[in-house]
Amino acid sequence: MRRPQVWLLAPMVAVLALTLVYPMLYAVRLAFTDPLTGDFPSLANYAQLARDELFWRALRNNALLPAASVAVELVLGLALALFLSQRFPGRGALRVLVVVPFALPEIVVLTIMRYIFVPRGYANAALGALGLPALDWLVPGSALAWMTVVVVDAWHVTPVVFLILLAALAGIPEDIREAAQLDGAGPAARLWRITLPLLRPALLAALLLRGVDALRIFATPLVLTGVEGVPVLSSYAYHQWADYGNDAAAAAAAVTLAVISLALSVPLLRVRSET
Amino acid sequence: MRRALFIGLAGAGLAAVILLPLGLILKQAVTPEAESFAWPPTWLPHAPTLANLRELFGSVELPDGLRLSLLVATLTVLSTLALTLPAAWLAARAPTVGRPLDALLVIARLFPSIALAVPMAVLFVRIDLYNSPAALGLWIAHTLLAVPFAFFVLRTGFRRIPVELEEAAQLDGATRLGAALRVTLPLAWPSLAAAALLVFLVSWDEFAYALILQVTNRPLPPLLYYFAAFGYPGMASAVAAIMLGPAVVIIILLAPAIRSGGLTGSGR
Repeated sequence: MRRPQVWLLAPMVAVLALTLVYPMLYAVRLAFTDPLTGDFPSLANYAQLARDELFWRALRNNALLPAASVAVELVLGLALALFLSQRFPGRGALRVLVVVPFALPEIVVLTIMRYIFVPRGYANAALGALGLPALDWLVPGSALAWMTVVVVDAWHVTPVVFLILLAALAGIPEDIREAAQLDGAGPAARLWRITLPLLRPALLAALLLRGVDALRIFATPLVLTGVEGVPVLSSYAYHQWADYGNDAAAAAAAVTLAVISLALSVPLLRVRSET
Repeated sequence: MRRALFIGLAGAGLAAVILLPLGLILKQAVTPEAESFAWPPTWLPHAPTLANLRELFGSVELPDGLRLSLLVATLTVLSTLALTLPAAWLAARAPTVGRPLDALLVIARLFPSIALAVPMAVLFVRIDLYNSPAALGLWIAHTLLAVPFAFFVLRTGFRRIPVELEEAAQLDGATRLGAALRVTLPLAWPSLAAAALLVFLVSWDEFAYALILQVTNRPLPPLLYYFAAFGYPGMASAVAAIMLGPAVVIIILLAPAIRSGGLTGSGR
């Protein structure tokens, strides 16, 4: 084959450089410039963030929320994939239905969920109908609000994990499981000794993909609980920029998030290049 | 018998958890605003009405937002395809250029939107693209967002078309690019259509960049956010229902491609 015509890549790579790399470098510059004196490099913005209790809450949530929601999504996605890889009438329709939440626009999902979980919403109406007391699902700073964010995120994105695991399950030959069954292995032993080990690469891929993706969490806590309810780094940066007009502090928070995201992308890229 | 019962219950439970929220948004869209504030909330509208939709289309915000959303999504489809078509074809035919490009595209695909939207907003203010009436700044951001999706779909599509067809055309005197344009491109139209639909949806659904870059000239997603935040449940739900329309149509059109795995490796 002749030398590849590499210039065909040039427009795309140029646009990526201009829209991804350049704004990122610009954010780094803003983040490390003292807004008062113009000194560069300076840690003035990070000193300001370090004094802000909301920033520390955002940083903590940005570690704990993705961990919790990815864990929930892996368990639910695996359960759904195992359930829907069995044979029964109506399976095809259910498989499509299960993917529907992911196909909906994020802001539409969040708008619905807000009407469900507000104090006078449908969730409390359902509890009331069952004779149970109403709950404050979204009260800022509460553990329950935090869990509501995880549940809503899981409702929306579990289909991604489900699709990855369903495809992997389809690749496991039926006779391996049948052989194990003939050898006397019960359902639990078959899951634990056969299916899960064979699913390991797919589970790892789903974990890394969703893990890096989950770090971006922004709209879910913002729409459900507001900026201070369940702060994350993205909503904190948005808050600094939109409510205080503080470009430098917003950029400092944005760079913090970008560094975490890039660091966690490394293992993801390594796994991808092995497959 | 017990198995059938378990499957029936699990299936019904799943369907309820997924369909109930969707049903509620459609219900609120046709419910008078006053009824939406009732306690306890009604599960079906007592007096179904199209007043919310009528009021929306009589307002300034919705027609403008709809136009802007359609415009940005269309422009994004055009720019994204123009950028990714040649690149994806080359990557499919010359695998050696793939690796570093893959890494760049995966990073572009998973990079936190807000971490880019903030510096973009600061830059766009300077070059007068911030809050542009034609959403030109947002168009640039959406192109960045959509390029990885389109690239991977198109590269998969090009790889499925045998290179021998291009080589045969070259033996007949076509240049290498001419062969790609006249032989491969027409055969690749299903992937091209899938990529275009997917890119349209990426832009149509996108919230974070739109919220930050279009502060008053708002496309539908931030418009929906403000309607909901300012306490118009009926109108917000009607906007949500309008947004669902194209999303549902495109997902139905893309379903075969999703099932055949041509779109996997993509996410939110």
